[in-house]
Amino acid sequence: MAKRSTSASPKNQRVHVISRKDGWAVKKEGNTKASKLFGQKEAAVEGARKLSKGHDVIVHKKDGSIQRWERSPKES
Amino acid sequence: MNSPDPDFSRNVFINCPFDPEYFPLLRPLLFTVLFLNHNPRIASERFDSGEARINKICELIRCSRYSIHDISRIRSKKRGEYYRLNMPLELGIDIGCRLGNDGVLQSKTCLILEKEKYRYQKALSDLSSSDIKNHNNDPETIVFQVRNWFTELGLANAPSATRIWERFNEFMADFQEERERDGFKDRDLEFMPVPEYISFIRKWIAGNPSHIT
Repeated sequence: MAKRSTSASPKNQRVHVISRKDGWAVKKEGNTKASKLFGQKEAAVEGARKLSKGHDVIVHKKDGSIQRWERSPKES
Repeated sequence: MNSPDPDFSRNVFINCPFDPEYFPLLRPLLFTVLFLNHNPRIASERFDSGEARINKICELIRCSRYSIHDISRIRSKKRGEYYRLNMPLELGIDIGCRLGNDGVLQSKTCLILEKEKYRYQKALSDLSSSDIKNHNNDPETIVFQVRNWFTELGLANAPSATRIWERFNEFMADFQEERERDGFKDRDLEFMPVPEYISFIRKWIAGNPSHIT
């Protein structure tokens, strides 16, 4: 089951790890383009954590549903 | 003949399985149709045990200019399992509605989706000269196929399929968060009636107009 919590990060600060045909994209919500593409999901998650600067990281499954929601430690 | 429904040109009849196994494809399919400002019409949008299902389906087909038929479940996966005949049946009714009528109903257009590109030709050889699209059971690919079909039909200014897919993922986060805040559990989300899910997408799109870029 996906680990969840109520998000406290502003929506435009949340960072998503999203499946792409050619790997995994890291995308900050509100940006029009993904920040970076990774071949491996775990590398993408690490990249998302760095980009998030402490805000929520939302890791998606291949179907778009939520695998894991890493809540901002600042706001928990 | 007059238009059979005021929303005829925006209605999209969705002919696909509505079981949990198909939900990973159904969710992005419905999201894409709504994101592109069209109106998905499904047989379960109103539940009346006293209404004959086939009559309801014929009505939905008649009031929809567009149809999306996913025939990827026409093949059983294991011994003893029945293959699904509802989808080919409803595809046939849709084609018959177009060919057997005059006027606006002749403008009906459909997208046929399959898992693999040529597999359907063995089961539905009458369609072997038709152009169908495959999704490989991949949720992202179904967004690409549906989006590109709409643009091939002339829809202008559609966001890229990548953009729609990313917005779908963002929607899924909000969907889960809000439903759980309202006390929904995993099981409630998994078996949520499709009309309720459609209603949530509509609300989300209305509240997130930034999707029009």
